[in-house]
Amino acid sequence: MGDLSELATLASKHMETWLFYLVALITVPFAFGVLLDRNIIRAGFLLIGVFGGISALFLLLQAQFLAMAQLMIYAVGITLVVVIALMLTNPRMEEDKSPSIPAQKAPAALVGTLLFIALYMAILSEGWGNNSEALSPDNITIIGYSLLTHYALPFEFASILLLIALVGAVMLAKHDHFNSKADIDEIEEETKEISERNEHVVKV
Amino acid sequence: MTSSAVPYNLNEIGKFFLLSGVWLGIIFGAVWAACWAVGMLVPQLILNAYPNDPCALNVANAIRLLTPLVGVMVFIPINAMYMVLAERRGLALFTVRKGPNRVGPDGFLQTAADAVKLLFKENINPHGGDVLMFTLAPIIFFAPSVFGAIPLLAAVTSNHDLFKIVNLPTGIFYVLAMSSIPVVGIVMGGWASNNKYSLVGGLRSAAQAISYEIPLVLAIITTCFLVGSLDVVNIAQMQKGTDNLASFGFLNWNFFGAGAIPHYLDLLMQGKLEGAQVVTSAFWSLALAFCCILLCGIYLTGACAEINRIPFDLPEAESELVSGYNTEYSGIRFAIFFLAEFTNLFIVSTVAVVMWFGGGATPFPGFLDANTFASIATPFNQALAQAGLPPLMDGQTMSGAFWAIFKTYALVYFAILVRGTLPRFRIDQLLDFGWKKLIPLSLILLLAVTYIRELV
Amino acid sequence: MFALVGRSIESLYQVARGLKTVFKHTVRPPITKNFPDDMPDLPGHFRGRLALAVNPQTSEHLCISCLQCERVCPDKCIQITSHKSPETNKPELIEFKIDHGLCMFCGLCTEVCPTSCIINTNDFEMADYTRESLVYDLKRLTLSQDESAHYFAKKELPMPKPKPPKPAAKPAAPAAAAKPAEDKPEAKPEVKAEAKPQDLPAAPAPESPKKEEQ
Ligand code: SF4
Ligand code: SF4
Repeated sequence: MGDLSELATLASKHMETWLFYLVALITVPFAFGVLLDRNIIRAGFLLIGVFGGISALFLLLQAQFLAMAQLMIYAVGITLVVVIALMLTNPRMEEDKSPSIPAQKAPAALVGTLLFIALYMAILSEGWGNNSEALSPDNITIIGYSLLTHYALPFEFASILLLIALVGAVMLAKHDHFNSKADIDEIEEETKEISERNEHVVKV
Repeated sequence: MTSSAVPYNLNEIGKFFLLSGVWLGIIFGAVWAACWAVGMLVPQLILNAYPNDPCALNVANAIRLLTPLVGVMVFIPINAMYMVLAERRGLALFTVRKGPNRVGPDGFLQTAADAVKLLFKENINPHGGDVLMFTLAPIIFFAPSVFGAIPLLAAVTSNHDLFKIVNLPTGIFYVLAMSSIPVVGIVMGGWASNNKYSLVGGLRSAAQAISYEIPLVLAIITTCFLVGSLDVVNIAQMQKGTDNLASFGFLNWNFFGAGAIPHYLDLLMQGKLEGAQVVTSAFWSLALAFCCILLCGIYLTGACAEINRIPFDLPEAESELVSGYNTEYSGIRFAIFFLAEFTNLFIVSTVAVVMWFGGGATPFPGFLDANTFASIATPFNQALAQAGLPPLMDGQTMSGAFWAIFKTYALVYFAILVRGTLPRFRIDQLLDFGWKKLIPLSLILLLAVTYIRELV
Repeated sequence: MFALVGRSIESLYQVARGLKTVFKHTVRPPITKNFPDDMPDLPGHFRGRLALAVNPQTSEHLCISCLQCERVCPDKCIQITSHKSPETNKPELIEFKIDHGLCMFCGLCTEVCPTSCIINTNDFEMADYTRESLVYDLKRLTLSQDESAHYFAKKELPMPKPKPPKPAAKPAAPAAAAKPAEDKPEAKPEVKAEAKPQDLPAAPAPESPKKEEQ
């Protein structure tokens, strides 16, 4: 019994670390799965696992709000849109059996390595101080406050960016059907013709 | 048959209520007993057996922590069984039928038999489907409803000690995040079935859930904003009415403008309002109450769409898609889908109760409140105390749980009534309604509430 | 804007009307019949299991082996074996088989039957354990005299006239029915070939009295 309680205290002391490794152990294979799975839709679903793991990491950092937002927006909203886009653009949903071209492998590896180094340097240069200060229990208030005061401008910019993207999407979606005014005129004429013909038929 | 002797359908309606009463008693009793056993009895027995042992204390605490989970796990299957039965009998009432009335007295055990049947049926994997995803889908659909229900427990039991730990400061946001996950399960199941009907069902569900989540979240956020808190316990407790006029019973609910109306009445009675103020103040209070009723309506609509209930059950429209995303499912996996669907209905109703209908507060002060329940509980507690066991219940928790469950089932019956009344939407009408009507309306309400709040 | 408000109010009104209907139905006693306890009250023209009627008055078999039903059946689930009776020179029934697993209960056979022999009964509980037992033979198909009387009354069919040369026909049928065990394989093809030209003159004969009655 004594051993057990010692173990318990030991575990609780390093609980966060253990949990971090546990979450990482689950998340990293998901991430590899996203890269390696040849079935692109399954890769999309695996992405949900990755985002879920990241939100668990946020939870470990006591950033509840961020964790929930991550889960709601990335893990569900965005990934679903991605998956649906994949399903709609790849209607036969067969696995991509085409062999990868070796000529592309070397540049891909190079770019990947460079990207990794760049990210690593960026994260390292941030100088993460080990802040042992306890988080305020109502950090949502603080987030809301800073979003609307200190970070108001970036916040607004982000929303404008989204708006532009939305308008662009609408434009693209509309563009497909009616290329120009001439096209629309043509279609209108045709409709008129058809309706006239139908009237004739009805009269007969 | 005696039913012909009664001119109206009183016989069947009476049977329905009797059935509901007995089932609700079973649900309430089972969950209460499980929570009591895990949360109080077992820890006390352990502590009695090993007094002064720190390890035993740890174990006892760990078991106590499991109470919410055990409560939810006991609750979900029994509740789903009852809700399926209530839905079938209720719909039968609305459509001049009798409903299931064979298994057990008056069809009482029908759904229990169905559950047993489903559990023993063969699990079939569709040819060409993705077996792993196919198996995972029901789990992803079901698990969030277990976790999502937990913070609500604290709200409906008036923040009982055992459920305090599950009360997150981001409460309602957590519930929303959890309730947005099941749609992934639907899309996954639809895709993994290798069946075009399932796939179309899954895609429809995704489109629908994503579009109706926006008005739903906006409605909840607006209410949180009105109340000034995200914490479900806080929100529920703020609506607790008292018997003085400033916050009278049910008028203090968020449904009636988060206390605007009783506040106005109070000012009026005390004669603090003069001249034109009497009218303007009344106008703004009523406007706020109207906004809140609309918000609640938007929430209920969005929730209906989110959990695929009629009139928004396009993902499983029988006439078009066989059974939608769960066409290929059988056996226990289908049972899980079924279970989760009804649990989700219960959870969205609970959220509505906590957000708008006063949580566990009694609607009429003095009517079946904590004192009444305390007087019921005393003999039990005394009997248990004599046997050296922890008390079974306290009036506060009991009344909270009773009223919360009462209101929640009222909303569930409302959902059944809606199902019996409204026809199904068409997919374009559905998206039209969501994007062109509900989202603008909820944005307008957000703005309106911001300003009216200052004016009241 | 006002149009939108007007439309929402209109739709709310419509929903309220729907609710009113639902509530009205809620207090109406259910129309459900507890099936195994009380049998449903089926109309005479309900198309259930097929059966062959006998003459309700004289209890002689009504089928004249005209093979009309066999020919008209879209599913080809009727199989009639008959031969030409040596005494009366008329086709005589040996075996009559209906595969109810194949039948779609369209009722076409009952409409062409000149003697109202083949009829749809009101029986619909015919679930069985094997497909073979869904193939009904002459014995299982033929109704008793009482049952025939019941259905003739219920369907308001005209009473059949007794066959004129019956003394010969009646004993011949059981005799023929007993025989087929070894006769059948060879009897069937040749009898059928014979019967077909035969039944053309035979068919109108019973039909004409029927028409007169109508
Ligand atoms: S009811 Fe129709 S299918 Fe059945 S035996 Fe008669 S003709 Fe054939
Ligand atoms: S149509 Fe009537 S009389 Fe002719 S063979 Fe068929 S059942 Fe017999």
